[in-house]
Amino acid sequence: MTGEFVIAIVKTIVAVSTLMTLAALLTWAERKQSAVMQDRIGANRAAILGFRAIGLFHIIADAIKMMTKEDFVPPFANRFIHSLAPFLAIFPAIVAFAAIPMGDTVTLFGHTVEMRLAPMNIGFLFIFAMASVTVYAIVLGGWSSNNRFAMLGAMRAAGQMISYELALGLAVVGSVMVYGTLDLMEIARAQTGLFAGFLPNWGIIYQPLGFLLLITASIAETKRAPFDIPEAESEIIGCFLEYSGMKFGMFFMAEFVTTVVVAGLVSTLYFGGYQVPYLMADGFHLPFGLFLVTPAALVPWLQFGAFWIKVVFFCWLLLTIRWTLPRFRYDQLMHLGWKILLPLALFNVAATGAWILAAA
Amino acid sequence: MSQHALDRLTDELGGALLDSCSEHGDETACIEPGHLHRAARFLRDDPELEMNMLVDVTAVDRLGRDSRFDIVYHLHSLGRGHRIRLKVQASDSGEAEIRTLTDLWKSAEWLEREVYDMFGVRFEGHPDLRRLLLYPEFEGHPLRKDYPIDKEQPRLPDLAGYPEVDYDASEDAARLLKGMQRTLSPRLNGTAGRNGKVLHGAEAGLRSPVASGTDSRGRTRNLFLDMGPSHPAMHGTIRISVELAGERIVDSDVDIGYLHRGFEKMCENRSYAQSIIFTDRLNYVSPIINNVGWSLAVEKLLGIEVPERAAALRVLMSEISRIADHLTCVAAHSMETGAFTAFLYLIEAREELYKLLERVCGGRVTLAYSRVGGVAADLPDRFEFHLARALAKTREMMADVVKLLDGNRIFQDRMVGVGAISPKDAISYGITGPFLRSTGVSYDVRKAAPYSGYEKYEFEVPVGQNGDNFDRYLVRMEEIRQSMRIIEQAIAKQPEGPIQSEDPSVNRPPKSEVYTSIEGLMHHFKRTMSGHGTAPPTSEAYGYVEGGNGELGFYLVSDGSDTAYRAHCRAPCFAPMSALSSLIEGLTIADVIPTFGTVNMIGGELDR
Amino acid sequence: MGMIQSSIDALSGSVGLGKLDDLLGWARKYSIFQYPFITACCGMEYMSAACSHYDVDRFGAGLTRFSPRQADVLFVVGTITHKQAPYLLRVYQQICEPKWVVAFGACVIGGGPYENYAALQGIDKIIPVDLYIPGCPPRPEAVLDGLIKLQEKIQKAPHGRE
Ligand code: SF4
Repeated sequence: MTGEFVIAIVKTIVAVSTLMTLAALLTWAERKQSAVMQDRIGANRAAILGFRAIGLFHIIADAIKMMTKEDFVPPFANRFIHSLAPFLAIFPAIVAFAAIPMGDTVTLFGHTVEMRLAPMNIGFLFIFAMASVTVYAIVLGGWSSNNRFAMLGAMRAAGQMISYELALGLAVVGSVMVYGTLDLMEIARAQTGLFAGFLPNWGIIYQPLGFLLLITASIAETKRAPFDIPEAESEIIGCFLEYSGMKFGMFFMAEFVTTVVVAGLVSTLYFGGYQVPYLMADGFHLPFGLFLVTPAALVPWLQFGAFWIKVVFFCWLLLTIRWTLPRFRYDQLMHLGWKILLPLALFNVAATGAWILAAA
Repeated sequence: MSQHALDRLTDELGGALLDSCSEHGDETACIEPGHLHRAARFLRDDPELEMNMLVDVTAVDRLGRDSRFDIVYHLHSLGRGHRIRLKVQASDSGEAEIRTLTDLWKSAEWLEREVYDMFGVRFEGHPDLRRLLLYPEFEGHPLRKDYPIDKEQPRLPDLAGYPEVDYDASEDAARLLKGMQRTLSPRLNGTAGRNGKVLHGAEAGLRSPVASGTDSRGRTRNLFLDMGPSHPAMHGTIRISVELAGERIVDSDVDIGYLHRGFEKMCENRSYAQSIIFTDRLNYVSPIINNVGWSLAVEKLLGIEVPERAAALRVLMSEISRIADHLTCVAAHSMETGAFTAFLYLIEAREELYKLLERVCGGRVTLAYSRVGGVAADLPDRFEFHLARALAKTREMMADVVKLLDGNRIFQDRMVGVGAISPKDAISYGITGPFLRSTGVSYDVRKAAPYSGYEKYEFEVPVGQNGDNFDRYLVRMEEIRQSMRIIEQAIAKQPEGPIQSEDPSVNRPPKSEVYTSIEGLMHHFKRTMSGHGTAPPTSEAYGYVEGGNGELGFYLVSDGSDTAYRAHCRAPCFAPMSALSSLIEGLTIADVIPTFGTVNMIGGELDR
Repeated sequence: MGMIQSSIDALSGSVGLGKLDDLLGWARKYSIFQYPFITACCGMEYMSAACSHYDVDRFGAGLTRFSPRQADVLFVVGTITHKQAPYLLRVYQQICEPKWVVAFGACVIGGGPYENYAALQGIDKIIPVDLYIPGCPPRPEAVLDGLIKLQEKIQKAPHGRE
């Protein structure tokens, strides 16, 4: 019992710190990535002991500065709700990650450990439930700021997130039907082996449309450009405009944490999760009969690494999209959500159902 | 050619036409004040004249005369090319003596408000005669000759924001809030009481927006929002107050003047040569065009021409400036729609042009390149090489931006069909430049009334069809390409010769002489000493060029001294800004940004 | 508070920077969120400095926040007229501590060429200024120079003792 408890704690610490580090690194990556795309150099001056580490220390500088900045609560604002909102934003985002498997089971000191924070068979539902809590954070944040721009941003955010949650939920129903489970670990496991003899047997093969829908809807869900309507700086300055210091920092981080979660979800559903292409329990089975033996103890760790590499790749993809496209307008966003994504998602469900029936 | 207009007007008005004259090629008709409206309507509706655009309204303060003010109207027929100036006299009685022209031209609304603001002349029947550029607490009218140039009327006490100074901000805030509300149109600030709505003004943060969601009878209320003057998309200098039903704009008021820096008053207190530096700061994105416009207007007063090479250099440099202007405009509105990368690409291209300008003029933004009677400097060595490189870079960056934006569905959705205006309305608002051309009207001063030898260059005037944001974007992009064509022709066939006119009224000794000979030094000294500079004969002239945003005009009145008696700038972006309120009505708040962006408001020239 | 203080002290020891002041100074100078209060011609050069070619982001000053609550440095760029002045004061008052003000260009410093009824003759009449960048407009190089000087000033400020 104690052993399991310790393992749970260790797992949590490892996963949350990896998650937070990755999210923090993303802020750096976003800066550098945009710099590269825009022919710039980007932040690189902050140095510790003469090391510049290509600007990585700017993250530390940002964090320390934000923590020591004056904490401002607008007059006439509801102090409690105003302070609650940023926590409501970042907490569910982190917790949602618990359902995502980072690897298969490993045996450590005689314990079998599943590489996922919370073994649960309702993974999807949990993630969506947590995602919808974030709506409250933004609405409460915008409303309690007692500012018209913030209010407008909050209303936009609420409308946007509720609309896209629908498309988001329906997009993954296809996958649920294919694999017959809500458990993300099961889904990841099912994606082992090969398809047609040479392709990795990944979800994208069965659910290409689902993938596109999910990635579109989840960018909207994370409120990143081109869906950054609630934050549209040049229009309404954003729904967090009355937040200063670390509270603002938390909203900021929440966005990046959600990005990581989305990247994790996308790789789990459609890109084999922790599966390494051609890697079985005993080694690499390459096409044309090639076989490479790998020590069995190494396999879970290779998988763990593969998962994070996939996550990083999707984070990068999301960043690139962010710096390329202009912003939607509110009604266009609604149009896209309700009139395009939703019917497509319904179609995807129907088509998947028909396919499953036909196959049976 | 405008003589015809004058003749027709003489026939029509008979005795009401007090005087008419033709000076420097401008026809002027002085009219009895009571007949102004009739004359204007005749000029507009007469099928032979069709003066469909009211280009400008301004006034001249003839202090000491009985009817103290001359109110000056400039009319223009886009189709036929006629121009005419109308003048009426008004006294200082504070009565509304002159009938407004707002019912004939929409442009009159803001133009007359400006005259009221600056001179205190009232117009009878004007729907909304408020101050336009200055703030409501301001006392007096600054362009009157008896208003001292340095009489400040601060809104804040000195050291207001210093913590150690005992300053009650709340009292000031209350006073200012009142002032701010008074700058709004009565429609919006509640005094007109349309549906009993009250605008809370800039201090919205002091009241709960949530509590005011419904009124006492439980009906939903509209949200009032102040955008600006310190708002990321408002370029720091305007304020748009909007009334929102959800995201839709029901009503709006555009409040300008936050960058009113007294350009005209400054020019009336400095010599013609000194004033050039103020023209730089009108449209600071394309300063050389302003320099050229001012120089041409003064040269028109003087009746001189510049040498061929100087004219060619003016064309060359103006076009470089124009490219920088259009690049900045496209960059700014793409950034504001969220395409940040496109913004940086275009600014990168502009950077190359700035470096190019620096090689010639020695500065990057404020250049004072064109001088009365010529230009400041000749081209440096290897200029052609650097020019070719800068143009290549511009082309490359533009190609990238075209890839990023033109076919982009999101960008198109944001721009196509948004902020559209009909050609008729555009003309009535006095809109010129790329904005007017996007509606399909092909009016470009460089073609319609060529100056500096523009007739010698081959270029096309791109026009749009729908007059919407996307067409304005496309027109600007195409104009950049056409400007590059002009530049390439100008650099290929540079005429040889001097760059400064030898006319005794304007000639300046070359710097080499100034620094080495006593005669040169004395000559230079005399030229620049106050009271001895270029002094055009007593007369008046309206000179105009194609600015980055349209027709840029300078109306100068000389009293024979070396300082302009009256200097007025007809700012190209003034007209489209006066139309903004009607453009954004019914759109969503997100549409304000690209619409405002393609108007290309430049604070310096808008507020002067 | 004591605990945070001591842990910050410990942290500052571990990164080899010595005192808390130094650490805060170091963090604040490399994390400058600016509020650009741009009105006029100087904005053109501000743009140049902020964009790819000169890239103030290298110094950690690339992020602009249009909400004064989140900004650290108020860049006042371009002529401030009397009509505009109350808004500037208001934005200044809304910025959260610690804050710095940069006066960018001749107009902001002392009215510039506009010695007349309309322009405020220097913003230091109404708000305190930390750094002046002269020029009409200042060249981007001057802006970078000013930024480095501002960083020095931030580093030296008495952070721990507010
Ligand atoms: S300092 Fe010069 S460039 Fe800057 S705003 Fe003033 S006039 Fe314009």
